[in-house]
Amino acid sequence: MRRIAVTGLGVVSPFGVGTKAYWNGLSAGVCAIRPVTLIETEGFRCRIAAEVPNGIGGSLRRSRADRFALAAAREALEDAGLSRVERAEAALVVGAVGGGMLEAEAWYWERYRGSRPPSRPTPRSTLPFAHAEALGNALGLEGPRETVVMACSSGAASVALAADLIADGVVATALAGGVDALTRICFMGFNALKLLCPEPCRPFDRDRRGLSIGEGAAFVVLEDLERARARGARIYATLAGHGMTTDAYHVTAPHPDGEGMVRAMATALERARLAPKAVGYANAHGTATPQNDRIEARAIREVFGPGQLLVSSTKSMIGHTMAAAGALEAVATVLALVHEVVPPTANLETPDPDVAFDCVPRVAREAPVEYAISNSFGFGGQNVTLLFGRA
Amino acid sequence: MARVVVTGVGVVTGPVTGGREHVRAFLASSGAPVVSVRSSALDGLVDETEARRLSRICQLSVAAARIALADAGLGPGAGLGLVIGAEFGDVRSTIAFVDGYLRRGPGGLSALLFPNTVMNTMAAATAIAVTARELSLTLNAPTVAGELAIARATAAVRAGRTDAVLAGGVDEFDSILAELLADGGAPSETRGEGAGFVLLESLDAAEARGARVLGEIAGASWRAIRARPYGVGRDAASRAIAAALDEAGATSGDVGRVWVSASGDGPRDRWEQAILTEALRPARPPQTALASRTGRHAGLGALAVAAAALDDASGGPALVHAVARGGTHVALVVRNRGRATHDV
Repeated sequence: MRRIAVTGLGVVSPFGVGTKAYWNGLSAGVCAIRPVTLIETEGFRCRIAAEVPNGIGGSLRRSRADRFALAAAREALEDAGLSRVERAEAALVVGAVGGGMLEAEAWYWERYRGSRPPSRPTPRSTLPFAHAEALGNALGLEGPRETVVMACSSGAASVALAADLIADGVVATALAGGVDALTRICFMGFNALKLLCPEPCRPFDRDRRGLSIGEGAAFVVLEDLERARARGARIYATLAGHGMTTDAYHVTAPHPDGEGMVRAMATALERARLAPKAVGYANAHGTATPQNDRIEARAIREVFGPGQLLVSSTKSMIGHTMAAAGALEAVATVLALVHEVVPPTANLETPDPDVAFDCVPRVAREAPVEYAISNSFGFGGQNVTLLFGRA
Repeated sequence: MARVVVTGVGVVTGPVTGGREHVRAFLASSGAPVVSVRSSALDGLVDETEARRLSRICQLSVAAARIALADAGLGPGAGLGLVIGAEFGDVRSTIAFVDGYLRRGPGGLSALLFPNTVMNTMAAATAIAVTARELSLTLNAPTVAGELAIARATAAVRAGRTDAVLAGGVDEFDSILAELLADGGAPSETRGEGAGFVLLESLDAAEARGARVLGEIAGASWRAIRARPYGVGRDAASRAIAAALDEAGATSGDVGRVWVSASGDGPRDRWEQAILTEALRPARPPQTALASRTGRHAGLGALAVAAAALDDASGGPALVHAVARGGTHVALVVRNRGRATHDV
């Protein structure tokens, strides 16, 4: 079985373009959740989100999400220093949900209101696979190409699926990540489910009231470890294992015992051939809904034991970025290993007594961790755990 | 690496709904294309609660998955994975959700409809219905989604990551989507709707439980050919076909039949022919385009694999091939049931 190295990182986040801006924001504990400017919010209980600031670049003929994806993917590929030939053979796996829906919504809204809508997006440009088409064409990626839609675990799933392609010997290199722009449907939907907090979210706080939405993109370059070493690539971390499971319980709610989450984490440990005590940090799914945080904390405790590792939720700073979340959090986890600093849980004032972990409230913590996990869970009971090790 | 066999099939399409015997009868018949699934096709396949609560596309998926499991003689339970391909997802629910807001503001939003706006809603409903608790993937792709799902599932079983996987796809086609596609300048083609799954298992696992093997997926590969987004490429060199044949230990001259993705989109159909000509020359095995009878949808991948597995007349392994505008293409090498258990 081939081992997997992480050799390139690229990010577009509510802190701006670039991995450096992302890590600076996370490690400083800055909360980027603010009043929404992109879409109308009149009449909704929650009117805040973590938007990507202006300056992402790219042609305005592309969707906002495509521009996120292109900027993050380009940074990751350049960071990895792949040649044109290596790119051409690389796999591309994109986690996506909203596609170019933001632009399609604008058109549909105008059409509904009877005004002359702006130029119409093609139906296919609104679908999740649009990003992979754009990236593949613009970046010269001609290996296996996939778009995985697993709701809020899509970004993490993309990394896991890309790792499988390398482990199986199908390719030596893969570009994997997730992307989502804020959309009206997503914002309205979570409002309808009453899962949004009117104030910036507070994961693992006793008084948490729901999640905050965010947007962004993150991509990683994964590579056969031996090949990466042979070409002298910078190795940020290894992807030591991963687990993907399904609750098969409810369309939106997690299994009350978190048994699917437990299996995902246990599978990642098993594939990495690691004991639970080897893991020092969990970048939690940590949405700040009362239900998720309680069940996730219980699941982490069942696998790793109470208090055995640091747990934090970077969603407290950049919101829940949907299909991008798993990839953004994978990058945060890798950078925590690289910098030996665990990012904090912002806005955490009163830790929930039912959460048996140090959730790193408000201030980042120096912590030389050997292994760390990143959890992502999505609608449909879709659970993904990525397990990274220090290079 | 495990050998991967097909032990069940379930399809819900315009002209055929059922398992292996229904597929066999369909293949032996002829007729005009039937692109829509009659509502009566779902009778007895979804219960009253599901009929009330699940969207139609989810019902199509649940029904086909149940047929495939029954055809395989495998009960729902632990150890089962699910890989679903889809091109459009639940467009009908998405538009209903949005229209609720546009008509009545925030008060018009339906919390029940919202999950259906995410394309993994069919996987969620199907995983619950058949208790699939291992990996559950939804792969979104134009044209090739069903074939891609089967190729990805094949890789998972071959590598031992899961014991059994329901793999296939589902698409719904209705007047709203037809109008959106036409208004958006989508290429003309024969579109249909339906769902189809095959159950994939390792040969060892299938033999251990005495399963009736339909055939073997001896090679599976997917790659991209250079093309502009939604466009047709100039390059016709297929690394996917070469890789799938190589994995199967076969050569281009061995291929007995090709199940193609042609659907009446002229430029794309001609591109597929150029790809096949270059990959298989000098051989020119006979071809079958199932979309001519069902319309193109993501459930066709499973129907094509089952058809290839049931083809006793072909002189060699079959190639199930699909290529999409934009360049994603998939190649599956399928041996029929006799060869699946005795060859290699």
